[in-house]
Amino acid sequence: MAKKTIERKIPGGKLIRMDVEFTSKIEALKITGDFFLHPEETLESIVSACVGLSLPIDKAYLTAQLEEIMLGSEAQLIGAEVADLVSILEEAVQ
Amino acid sequence: MKYRMISFQYFDAYMNMAIDEAIMEGVRLGTTLPTIRFYGWSPSAVSIGIFQGIHNEVNLQETKKQGVDVVRRMTGGGAVYHDKLGEVTYSIIAPVDHFPSNIMASYELICADILSALSSMGIEAKFVPVNDILVKEQKISGNAQTRRDGILLQHGTILYQVDVETMFSLLNVSEQKISDKLIKSVKKRVTSVIDQGKATMVDLQRALESGFSQDRQIVQGNYTDLELERATVLVKEKFSSEAWNFRL
Repeated sequence: MAKKTIERKIPGGKLIRMDVEFTSKIEALKITGDFFLHPEETLESIVSACVGLSLPIDKAYLTAQLEEIMLGSEAQLIGAEVADLVSILEEAVQ
Repeated sequence: MKYRMISFQYFDAYMNMAIDEAIMEGVRLGTTLPTIRFYGWSPSAVSIGIFQGIHNEVNLQETKKQGVDVVRRMTGGGAVYHDKLGEVTYSIIAPVDHFPSNIMASYELICADILSALSSMGIEAKFVPVNDILVKEQKISGNAQTRRDGILLQHGTILYQVDVETMFSLLNVSEQKISDKLIKSVKKRVTSVIDQGKATMVDLQRALESGFSQDRQIVQGNYTDLELERATVLVKEKFSSEAWNFRL
């Protein structure tokens, strides 16, 4: 099992840190940082959508999944975009 | 609509967070007015954002050594050192329909009251999205918001005086965090009311009360016994617990 941590400061935004464990799929993921997400519980759904994904990540699929979660929760992510989350996760599992 | 305003009082970190949640519950239930409160932290404390990793952000060995409490907030945002003698913290708690639905717009609206307070003290500051107030390029106030069950809580600090050595002995500042900042030295990125001129903590408290009173019908008040009892329960069950503070 590989383990990797990636930290990225979004220009003009906030810091996102991902601690990921992976094999041929994402086994575990922790997302932390100084961003804002309303409602806060949305983060659990975001993490759940990522865990179990086969690698390499299908960026379009994951982006669509996360955007659906955001829309369904009427969520607002402040300090980052969904595209940033996908990009950081992709970097973390390379 | 009337707002209750509660003047500056000291509580410990856990009680400060618990009081915010207790008042949110009261406003939701209609048992208390929307509230603006001002408070300090005794003992000095570090608060971290709801999404932060405690070990990543805080030098826990140093906080223990210096007798500084550590608490996780209900709000997002970053790690903050709350110096007992160095700042005034505010919370505003009210129904969400008092504010724009757009989160960034609501930050700007509430922070305008802080800008007004600072301006009355001769300090020209600006709101910088997402949640900061700067004097030129130096941060004097940070703010954080949550919305739960139809109630908005925004709280933030206004720095009166800064002990940068202590602050940065307690907080772990990531290189990534400052990678896009003009001022690379973290110690030069903050300023305070004292740095900007002569004023007392009481001057700052009064200016903030005045700033937050604009365009609101204010009733001066205090905490109710019920709120403080509820907050005491929340301290025990949540805010002082390892399960809460060490969840990430």
